[in-house]
Amino acid sequence: MAGDHLSNDEFFTRLVNLFELNRKKGHGSVILTQKRLAFESNADVPSPTKVLDDPLWDTHPENPLPLIIRASNTRSTERPGTDRKNVDKIKLSTVVQPDQLDAFYARYAEACKAGMSGLKKRDKKKKKKDKKKKKGVD
Amino acid sequence: MPYFETSDEWYEQSSLLIKARPTSARVTSKYTVLKPTPSKIKKREKYLVKHPNTASASDSTAVPPTLANSEAPTATFLLKTYDPVSGTCLQYETNKAAEVGRLIGNLSRLGRHMAALPEIKEDQSAAAAGEDIATPSLEGQIKLEDTSEQKPSGGGGGKKKKKGKK
Repeated sequence: MAGDHLSNDEFFTRLVNLFELNRKKGHGSVILTQKRLAFESNADVPSPTKVLDDPLWDTHPENPLPLIIRASNTRSTERPGTDRKNVDKIKLSTVVQPDQLDAFYARYAEACKAGMSGLKKRDKKKKKKDKKKKKGVD
Repeated sequence: MPYFETSDEWYEQSSLLIKARPTSARVTSKYTVLKPTPSKIKKREKYLVKHPNTASASDSTAVPPTLANSEAPTATFLLKTYDPVSGTCLQYETNKAAEVGRLIGNLSRLGRHMAALPEIKEDQSAAAAGEDIATPSLEGQIKLEDTSEQKPSGGGGGKKKKKGKK
């Protein structure tokens, strides 16, 4: 798994594709997870005795830690009588260094806003107003 | 496994959880698009019949749009903060596109907690010692956002309106 991490740029292009696939399919999920990356920094983890001394050591580590961001879709299998097709699970992951967090999240927000096109838009009120206007004209 | 009413509430509780368990807690966000089930479609159609007022405008023009509406897929965005050690799970669900930006902003702030990046007050010392010169200005912006968002929801409403006008 550790070797499979994508670079941030690569991650974004693949994430956009993932959302695009979901849109074409017309249904399905995209799952995004963020978590502190604790495994690769094992060298920095204090020795067990130190952990015993201070069980809450992880709440105040000496150095900022990287985050791991994962994205995936859901697997689906073909089923008779439905329009379901075989879709393999696509898994993406990337590691974000602490000093790149802000830049990463700015792009992340853009990608998500563009990708989650199925959510309800805000323009309902405008439509109603237009219709009322039309009625008034009639 | 509570669902929160507002995203602010969810953010507050999640940030507390992440501060307490920064290594084990994770934030999962799930974007789901579902085709409605036949029973759901029937339910929607019944609703339209029972409440013609809400759809009166579309009814007078044509019937097909209402049918299309009743078969429209439902899309939701679910945010979940889960800590496997204590078993705490905090959730918030929305179906509004306008909220996505703000929610990702929340994710970014939670990400800072996870990365053990210093919070607002400790920023100055850390930034002085830190490698990046660009961070202090960004942190300043975050500070401003924090204060504005923590004020009563009226402030948030104002933001929404602005976005809508654009």
